[in-house]
Amino acid sequence: MSNFPEKKIFEEADNWIKNNKKVSLATVVQTWGSSPLGIGSRMIVSEDGNFLGSVSGGCVEAKVIEECISLMKNKKICKKIDFNVSNENAWEIGLACGGDILIYIEEIKQ
Amino acid sequence: MKLEIIRETLKNKSLKKEFALITNLINGESEIFFPGYNLSEMFSKYSEEIEKIFNSNKNGIIENSEIFVQTYKNPIKVIVVGAVDISIYLIDFAKNLNFEITIVDPRGYFASKERFPDTKIINKWPNEAFDEIETNSSTALVTLTHDPKIDDPALQYALKNKFFYIGALGSKKTHEKRCSRLIGAGFKNVDLEKINGPIGIKLGGKSPSEIALSIISQLVSEKYKNKI
Repeated sequence: MSNFPEKKIFEEADNWIKNNKKVSLATVVQTWGSSPLGIGSRMIVSEDGNFLGSVSGGCVEAKVIEECISLMKNKKICKKIDFNVSNENAWEIGLACGGDILIYIEEIKQ
Repeated sequence: MKLEIIRETLKNKSLKKEFALITNLINGESEIFFPGYNLSEMFSKYSEEIEKIFNSNKNGIIENSEIFVQTYKNPIKVIVVGAVDISIYLIDFAKNLNFEITIVDPRGYFASKERFPDTKIINKWPNEAFDEIETNSSTALVTLTHDPKIDDPALQYALKNKFFYIGALGSKKTHEKRCSRLIGAGFKNVDLEKINGPIGIKLGGKSPSEIALSIISQLVSEKYKNKI
């Protein structure tokens, strides 16, 4: 059997939700210039900060986790987050590769 | 996105269907697109663009819209002739690289279920085995027996059917002999150039797992070169 990249992520999202956890899905929906991971890379984040998968190979994950938790706390449906090198915050977050990525986060609804 | 859509995606993948997962980035609504089937009203006006992204094996946002398309295609088929030690490691690497391996070996002791659990094994000679496998120009062939009786018919089939990748295990000398046999069988030099022999990228390793790594690396590289 061959695994498609999101197989483990989707199966685990289902498991976490079965265990009554709130879970968000983060997806790279657009990239400009050099970006660590391609469009369609995904990651799941639970309300208690557990995560699986990757959207940047480690550069912006911490910020995405924070955003996902706050999305679920504030009962928002979805949000787009742009990580851009020209944005000073991006350096703090550490997108050191010089790319620009747009990440879409949404809560997985039962 | 609803959990239901995630479960549908997993189910469709396990049924080996090809489809796209479409998301409206404004309201988080998602739907599964199958080529040739109608979408709901929210997405139907983008059908043409969705199909275009799907057909080009890409993911992305449709221009001037808030519609994201993620394409799910079946893994690349790799036929491995020879149920040898290297094949066991190849299967291991292939699992997480979106390749699907089928083992062909007429020798029962080699191609046993005990040695290859969870893998499709065809315990036949290549010519008979190919009757059971659907192949096209996105298929790859790896021959590992270095027995001309087994490897050569498979190589001839792959050359005739224009597989995107053909690799044959064996030293330079073995490969030279193989090439002259194929010339004798009516193949031209341009055909022989399509065979990667000796197989794999140069890693310097000699163990079965290292050889498997060099083969799988070449497969990944050729997949991108050929835009498959």
